[in-house]
Amino acid sequence: MAGLMLAQAPSFQNPSSAPSSIDKPAAVSPAEMSINSAFWGSSIKLNCSPSHALCKASKADRRAAGLSARCDATKVMAASTAMSGTPVRSTSILVVGATGTLGRQVVRRALDEGYEVRCLVRPRPAPADFLRDWGATVVNGDLSKPETLPAALVGIHTIIDCATGRPEEPIRAVDWDGKVALIQCAKAMGIQKFVFFSIHNCEKHPEVPLMEIKRCTEKYIVDSGLNYTIVRLCGFMQGLIGQYAVPILEDKSVWGTDASTRIAYMDTQDIARLTLTALRSEKADRKLFTFAGPRAWTTQEVINLCERLAGQDAKVTTVPVGVLKLTRLLTRLFQWTNDAADRLAFSEVLTSDVIFSAPMADTYVTLGADSKDTTTLERYLQEYYTNILKKLKDLKAQSKQGDFYI
Amino acid sequence: MASSLVARLPSSPSPASTSSAFFPFQPIPQSLPLHSHVRHLRFSWSVNASLGDDTSTQIDGPEAPSSSSSPADAPSPSTSTVVTSSKQPQTVSLSLEDVNPVGLGRRSRQLFDEVWRRFTELGQLTRSPRDSEEYESVLIGGPMCEFTIPGAESTTVLVAGATSRVGRIVIRKLQLRGYKVKALVRKADPETLEALPRSVQIAVGDLGDPSSLKSVVEGCSKIIFCARARSNLTGDLNRVDRLGVYNLSKAFQDYNHRMAQARAGRSSRSKLLISKFKEKDEWAVQQGTHFTDDIAVKYDGGMNATFSEEEDGNAVFSGYVFTRGGYVELAKKLNLAPGLSLDRYEGLVLSVCGDGKFYSLILEACSMDDPSHKIIYAARFATRLGYSRIRIPFSSFRPMNPKDPALDPFSVHTVAIRFEPRKQRPLPVRNGSGTSVQSSLRDLNSFKLTLDYIKALPGGQETDFVLISCTGAGIDENERDKVIKAKQAGEAALRNSGLGYTIIRPGPLQDEPGGQRALVFDQGNRISQGISYADVADICVKALHNPAARNRSFDVCYEYVAEQGQGLYELVAHLPDKSNNYLTPALSVLEKNT
Repeated sequence: MAGLMLAQAPSFQNPSSAPSSIDKPAAVSPAEMSINSAFWGSSIKLNCSPSHALCKASKADRRAAGLSARCDATKVMAASTAMSGTPVRSTSILVVGATGTLGRQVVRRALDEGYEVRCLVRPRPAPADFLRDWGATVVNGDLSKPETLPAALVGIHTIIDCATGRPEEPIRAVDWDGKVALIQCAKAMGIQKFVFFSIHNCEKHPEVPLMEIKRCTEKYIVDSGLNYTIVRLCGFMQGLIGQYAVPILEDKSVWGTDASTRIAYMDTQDIARLTLTALRSEKADRKLFTFAGPRAWTTQEVINLCERLAGQDAKVTTVPVGVLKLTRLLTRLFQWTNDAADRLAFSEVLTSDVIFSAPMADTYVTLGADSKDTTTLERYLQEYYTNILKKLKDLKAQSKQGDFYI
Repeated sequence: MASSLVARLPSSPSPASTSSAFFPFQPIPQSLPLHSHVRHLRFSWSVNASLGDDTSTQIDGPEAPSSSSSPADAPSPSTSTVVTSSKQPQTVSLSLEDVNPVGLGRRSRQLFDEVWRRFTELGQLTRSPRDSEEYESVLIGGPMCEFTIPGAESTTVLVAGATSRVGRIVIRKLQLRGYKVKALVRKADPETLEALPRSVQIAVGDLGDPSSLKSVVEGCSKIIFCARARSNLTGDLNRVDRLGVYNLSKAFQDYNHRMAQARAGRSSRSKLLISKFKEKDEWAVQQGTHFTDDIAVKYDGGMNATFSEEEDGNAVFSGYVFTRGGYVELAKKLNLAPGLSLDRYEGLVLSVCGDGKFYSLILEACSMDDPSHKIIYAARFATRLGYSRIRIPFSSFRPMNPKDPALDPFSVHTVAIRFEPRKQRPLPVRNGSGTSVQSSLRDLNSFKLTLDYIKALPGGQETDFVLISCTGAGIDENERDKVIKAKQAGEAALRNSGLGYTIIRPGPLQDEPGGQRALVFDQGNRISQGISYADVADICVKALHNPAARNRSFDVCYEYVAEQGQGLYELVAHLPDKSNNYLTPALSVLEKNT
């Protein structure tokens, strides 16, 4: 079966004449049925997205709709062969975005639980050797190049999608176009389960491009008919290390905002653990979960905690949220600073004073997990500082030497 | 660096308009457009203006960053030569490098980028790691990693059967925990190598070929054996499941000996030879009776025993005992080399060719308080027809007088093998043909025991060799006996090697992710359920550092879901989670040295 699928992969690229076939209402063959349903997903979104003010998201939608129309015809054929092929093993999973903060923890956890893990990694000069060292299979592929996807999906039972574009690259290429291609491909190739990571409260902030894209993707997955589990996340504890923990220990200045937004940070290791529990549980099929940490923290509270644990006062540079907002407004005035404006988009969320947290009791019950196993931020940072100070002691290094902190 | 750069700028002889012709000897890349340097130089002036106070928060756009950035964040090629002190800028002599517009432009751009990056980070949900290489050292293999085991990097684990289903998962688990892994493969062909992680050390060797294993075990501190025969042909079974275990454990012990000799000591994993019976050194035959009643003794048939060498060179202890309550024993005073005592050891192993009778191994010790007070400890063992090695841990010795304390191997001074007619039971013996067993058991008073050696088994905390065996469940009826026989022979070879062992006998293996179902640990071949490859691999890895796993053999399978009131098993394990070590409580209730 693998050879067959690979052979078909090049034809995936062909700009086939699918759009015309979609318009035919009389089509009832299985192939065209699934074209219709795939197209439905994006057309529904086209209907709903203009209700949100931002024009970019809907532009992205339209582009995606074109993509879906273009790709489907060949993939449906692929699907029909996939159905009749050898059964895939339920332990074979594909992790997209495996080199990321969350993705690597998912890979580790999955490997430890005995899954055969395949990682979709962009071709890069320095290959992600650590994934291979852990025992995962690394395949090269790029979400923004849909023709690379089908070969990577051969023999895969479950896809875990942890990918997000890097902040410095345009959001849409990976997060929308790439995801749509991946979902369509997954649907066409009969992937049994699709796990998608989204952002908490993403439906409430259509003005933030990434959140709007995540919301649309959620909807697209739900409409695609795949067996899915969507996990909405609040914040990663791992991000706090580089942002606050290290600079405070190094006596460097820390930049924070005066926003009172609270975020329930969560350890990515816990997220990975719960995700894999959800992967196995039939109760999690076609469900949306929000994973949140035990407690929601403001920036100021996190800085205070770090100060206490590090035993040092932080040099905090507080940037008023108003300034961020103003900058965003200014940068949006010009075409060439639009990317910069997008990067500041989260300031809208910061000014809204929301609490990024969700009750987890039901989730724990559904997944059969114990809430006590979830790491608290205090424990996480405590552990970090204990380890780092021990390491420093071992190295007999001075605390001014920055290299040792990370 | 930022502040020092800025402080020095006003004193620089030439402002931003400095042309490249001013420094004819300074190589300026032609590819860089000059106006960009000039623009950035101007920008650095504006940094100068706003940097009067570090805490300024006057920000109104990307063009006006504030606050100082740290030195490490804006490295520059000329940093070391330029920055000597930021407090006394007047005393710093300017080098031409400082006012080079290319350098200034580059530095100011770096400064701007840094400030802008930190500024935009505030307005983002996702953050790219600052420096991917540094960042990875936190999350990859560091102490913060979930599975990392402290000290694992100093442990090299040899995985035999690295390409098997269990072996592959074992290797992944070891890699995640930071162990050094050596994989034993039969052939190093590209297909095999592709299936293994790259940092795994590949060792090529054949389990059936002892000489090829010699180099394989070098540098290893633990072994996990997940190989199994490719087919159920007797030859294959013999080669891998029986001889494979024997060869590998032998090679490992040989390696331990060599290492120990190199540092002029005894290997802590090697057995201690107490006596080779052929040498007949100081073994004395003694007789005795438990009755002190003279009349009873008078009318008994008496007893006799000899310890002699037969024509074939074997040492034989034989005789008869008809006296009621009488016994004969073969005793020897221990003379261990100075510095050695039995408390470093945890049991004795005998190699004997028996007759199906029961014997007792007697240890005589003197009590600590009163050296003249003799305490006798005994452990009974059965022999079978033909040669066998019998392993008796010190923990199974019981004092003859129940009031005496438990055995302390340190104080043992005499060892003896005793035959007593009253201890015999006409039990059917497993091996051997029926008739000979029956006839020999009818005669409970005479005995003949060919003795080979007696050795002490080393003690220790952790297991050295984890062997995956099988329970026989799920194997075709016709093949089962054959497979089990080979596996049991392998297990026996491992037990007698003196290595700390853990023998895992899983139920039928299933291809499922691990950690989702409760496990049952049991002894006595009672299990009925299957188990996933991943769970077996998890037990292997957990057993490596678990004292409870040392010298234990156990069956393991998924929890048997019994009907109400029909439960046969005590549930000892539960779903593993992050902090859970289910192995210790599960195994500590099981018997050791099985």
